[in-house]
Amino acid sequence: MTVISSTWTTALLVALPALPFLAVLALGILRWATGKRAEERIVWAVLYAAFAGTALASALLAFQLFATERLAIEANLGDWFAIGHYHFPWRLRGDRLSLPFALFASILVGVVASFSRKYLHREEGFHRFYLLLGLFGAGVELVVLAGSLDLLFFGWEMVGLASALLIAFFHDRPKPVEHALRAFVTYRACDVGLLAAIVWMHATTGGAALDFVGPGLRWPGLVVPSEARDALIVAFLLLWASIGKSAQVPLGGWLPRAMEGPTPSSAIFYGAISVHLGPYLLLRSAPVLEAAPLAAWAVVAVGLATALHATFVGRVQSDIKSALAYASMTQLGLIFVEIGLGLHLLALAHIVGHASVRSLQILRSPSLLHDHQHLEQAMGQQLPRTGGHLEGLVPAKIQPWLYRHALERGYFDALLIDWVVEPFYRTFRALDRMESRFEIWAGGEAEAPDPTSGLDLLEQRR
Amino acid sequence: MIHVAPLVVAGCWLLFAYGPVRPESFATARRRMALVCAFSLLALAAVWLHMDSRAGGGKILELGGWQLALSDRGFAGMAPVLIAGIGIVAVAMADSISHSIATLRRILALLAIAMAFVAVDEPVLLALLWGLSPWIAWQELRERFGGRGVARLFALYHVASVSCFLASVAFGKIGWAFSSLLLMLPAIALRDARIPGHSWFPYFVEKAPLGLVVAFTAPQLGLFAHLALLGDALPPDMARFVPLIGAVTAVVAAALGVVQTSARRALAYLLMSQTALVSLGLGGTSEVARAGSMLAWQVLALATTGFAMTISALEARRGELSLATHSGYFSRTPRMAAGFMMMGLASVGFPMTLGFIAEDLLAQGAIEGNPIWAFALIGATALNGMNVMRAFFRLFSGRRIHTGETDLTGRESYALSLVLLALLLGGLAPNWLLSQEFGHSTRHSTRPAIHLSESSPPASR
Repeated sequence: MTVISSTWTTALLVALPALPFLAVLALGILRWATGKRAEERIVWAVLYAAFAGTALASALLAFQLFATERLAIEANLGDWFAIGHYHFPWRLRGDRLSLPFALFASILVGVVASFSRKYLHREEGFHRFYLLLGLFGAGVELVVLAGSLDLLFFGWEMVGLASALLIAFFHDRPKPVEHALRAFVTYRACDVGLLAAIVWMHATTGGAALDFVGPGLRWPGLVVPSEARDALIVAFLLLWASIGKSAQVPLGGWLPRAMEGPTPSSAIFYGAISVHLGPYLLLRSAPVLEAAPLAAWAVVAVGLATALHATFVGRVQSDIKSALAYASMTQLGLIFVEIGLGLHLLALAHIVGHASVRSLQILRSPSLLHDHQHLEQAMGQQLPRTGGHLEGLVPAKIQPWLYRHALERGYFDALLIDWVVEPFYRTFRALDRMESRFEIWAGGEAEAPDPTSGLDLLEQRR
Repeated sequence: MIHVAPLVVAGCWLLFAYGPVRPESFATARRRMALVCAFSLLALAAVWLHMDSRAGGGKILELGGWQLALSDRGFAGMAPVLIAGIGIVAVAMADSISHSIATLRRILALLAIAMAFVAVDEPVLLALLWGLSPWIAWQELRERFGGRGVARLFALYHVASVSCFLASVAFGKIGWAFSSLLLMLPAIALRDARIPGHSWFPYFVEKAPLGLVVAFTAPQLGLFAHLALLGDALPPDMARFVPLIGAVTAVVAAALGVVQTSARRALAYLLMSQTALVSLGLGGTSEVARAGSMLAWQVLALATTGFAMTISALEARRGELSLATHSGYFSRTPRMAAGFMMMGLASVGFPMTLGFIAEDLLAQGAIEGNPIWAFALIGATALNGMNVMRAFFRLFSGRRIHTGETDLTGRESYALSLVLLALLLGGLAPNWLLSQEFGHSTRHSTRPAIHLSESSPPASR
C-alpha cells in the first residue's frame, strides 16, 4: 500500500482527534477543579478554535492526499499497550473515505458550535453542551481516522455516550432522560456486535486492522478472515452494530425520541454525523461484506425494510422533528441498500449530501412556522400539500391499514417491549424476588420458607 | 517469605484503629485515619517504584528471608499501594450518618488484614486472616441489626467459606492435594459471591455501611487466594469450572442489576458481575488473559470504591436511594453527578480510562480459552453499562425541584479526584504500568503457587 508518512502529516493527523479532546479535557478539569462555570465566550472560543483547527488540518491533509494520488496518509504512534502477542496500536489513517468524512465532520461541528452560541445563550447547560460537543467531535474523528477496529471502537463509544447525554440535556424533565436511556441501551446492546467482531477478528486473523487493499477498492478496508464462516460471523456482527447506531429496523425507535435534545445537537447527531457512522463502518468493512454475500444481502434487506417503514411512519408525524427523524431513517435505509449492493461511491455521496441537507433542515426546524408563513406570503397562496402522487399509487383498501400501521410506528416498539423488554424484566424481577425471599428466610427473619410470610416482609423492606 | 513493608503498614493501621489514642469526634477520627492512609500510600508507592527500578520486582533488602519489598509476586506487587488508595477513599468519603467511629476502625482493620494477606505466604497465616476479615465485618452487622437477618446470613456463608479454607489448608498439610484444591474452590467462590453461593452479598451491600462494604470486598482477597494458593496447580477439569462459574455469575448478576429499584442492590449486582469477570481470565493460560485479570482487579478495586462511596455520600444527603423514579437535579450537584458517572463508567471499561484497557485485555484473553467466555464478558459489560447509566439518570435527573442537598465537599472531592486521576493517568500510559507489573511474565509463570501440599495434585480426575 503506497502511503504518505512524514512528521508534519503525522502531527496533522494526530491533531484531528487531539484538538477537540484537549479542549474538552481543559474545560472539564477547569470545571472540576474550580466548581464554577467558565464564561460562555471562553467555552465557545476554545471549542470553536479546536474545530477550526481540525477543519484546517483535515483540509491540508486532503489536499496532500489528492495532490500526490497516494492511497493513504498514515500516522503510526506505536502501541497504546502491549502484552504477549496482543497489542493495541495507535494508528491513524487518512484516505479517500476518511479524510472527506473528517473534513465534513469538522466543518459541521464547527458550524453547529457557532450556531449554538446564540441558540443556547444563557441556557443552564451551555457549558455542558459544549463539553459534550467536543467529546463527540473527538470521538467522530477517532472513528473515521482509526487504522483498526480497536481504535474505531474507542471513538464509537465516546460518540454513543455524548449522544445519550445530549438527549438528556433538558434533564429536569423525565421524558428526555427516559429517551436518553433508551438510546443508550440501544447503543450498548448493538455495541456488543462491534466488540464481539473485534475479538473474533483478533482470534481468527490476529488483528482487526483496516489494511485490506483489494482490486476495485478505493480505500483500505477490514482484513478478511480466511474462513468463509468467520467472515460471515464478523459481517453479521458489524451489521448488528450499525443497525443500532443508524436507527435501522427493528431498533430505530430511539431516533425520533432522541429529538428531545437541543436542536443543534439533533442536527449534528441525528441529521448529520452520528447516524451515518453505521454506514461508515459498513463502508470500511466492504471487503468482509463482499466475502460474505449473505450478510451483504442482509444489509440490503435491513435498509429496504427501514426505508419503507420510515417513509410510511414519517408521513403521519405531527411534529417537525419527528418527521425529520423518520426522513433521516428513510435515507439511511437507502444508504444501507447502496452499500449492500456494492455501490460504495454512491453511498459516500449520498451520506455527504443527506447529512448536509438534513442538518440544515433540523437547524431551521425551530423557525418552521415563520418560514412557512414567509413562503406563503411570497407565493400569495397556501402551500400545496405534498406527497399526494404517492398516495395515489397505494390502493384505497390498503390505505387505512397503512395509516394505522404508520400511526403505531410499525408496531416495532410494541413488539420489542412485548417480546424482549418485558420478558427480560419479568424473568429477572422474579429471580430477584426469589432471591429476596431466600435472604429473608435464611437470615431468620421469617419462621419458615413460606412464600406468603416472606412476601410480607419483602414488602415491608421495600 | 514475609514482606515487611505492607506488614508494617498493616500493623500501624491496626494500632491506629484499636490503639490507646481515641479521637473525640467522628470528624477527627476520619481526618486522622485518612491522613494515615495517605502517608501509607506515599510510603508504599515509594517502595514499589524503588523495588521495580532495582531488579524487576525483585528484592531490595533481604535479611534472613525478610524482604522490604511489597511482594515478590508480580501480580500482587501493587496490591498494597492499591489497598492504601482504597483506604483513603473509603475513610475520607465515609459519612457520619451511616458510619460511626467504630465503623471507621473496622474499615481500617479490614484493609490492614487485606494488606497482610498479600504480604504473607504461609497458608496457616492466610487461613487465619481469611477468617478474621469476615469476623470483623460480622461484628458491625451484629451491632447494627442483631443476630438475625443480614448478620446471620453473612455468618452462614462465611462460616462455610472459612471452614472450607481451613480444611483445604489442613488437607494440604497432610498431603491430600486433590482434596485441598477441591475445597479451596468453594471457599473462594463463597467469599467472592459467585452464583450459587452469592445470596449474602446483595443483602450485605443493601444493609451495611458502604465504607465497610468497600473495605471488605474491594481488595478481592478471593482472587489473590486463587492466584497465590491455586496458581496453575488446578487440574484442567477443575480449572474449567472457574471461568464457567465466573461467566454465569457475571451475566446473571448484570441482568439482575438492570432490573433493580434500589440503588444499593443495583450496586451489589454490579460489583458481583464485574468481580466475576475477573475470574474469566483465570481460566486461560495466556499472558493476555492473566494480565487482563490482574489489571481488571486493580481497576475494579479503585473504580468501584469511588462509585460505592459516591452513592454513600449521596445517600447521606438524600436518604434511601430509589431507582424506581427520577429523583435528582444534576445541575445542583454537578461534581457528584460527574464523579458518579465517571466512576461507574470506568468500572465497566469505558474508553479513556484504565478500565477500558483491562476489559479489552480480558476479552482478548478470554476468547483464547473459549469464545463463550468472551461473549459472556462482552454481554455482561454491556448490561453493566446500562445499569450504571440507568442509575445515573434516575439519581441525578428528571426533577426540577431541588431538595437542597449539597455537592461534594472538598474532602470528598479530593478523595474522588485521586481515584479519577489514577484511572485517567493509568489510561494515558498503560504500557508503563503493564511493564512494571507484567513485564517479567516468565518469572511469574515459573514462580509456583504457595504450596498447599508437598505432593503434586493429579493432572485430572
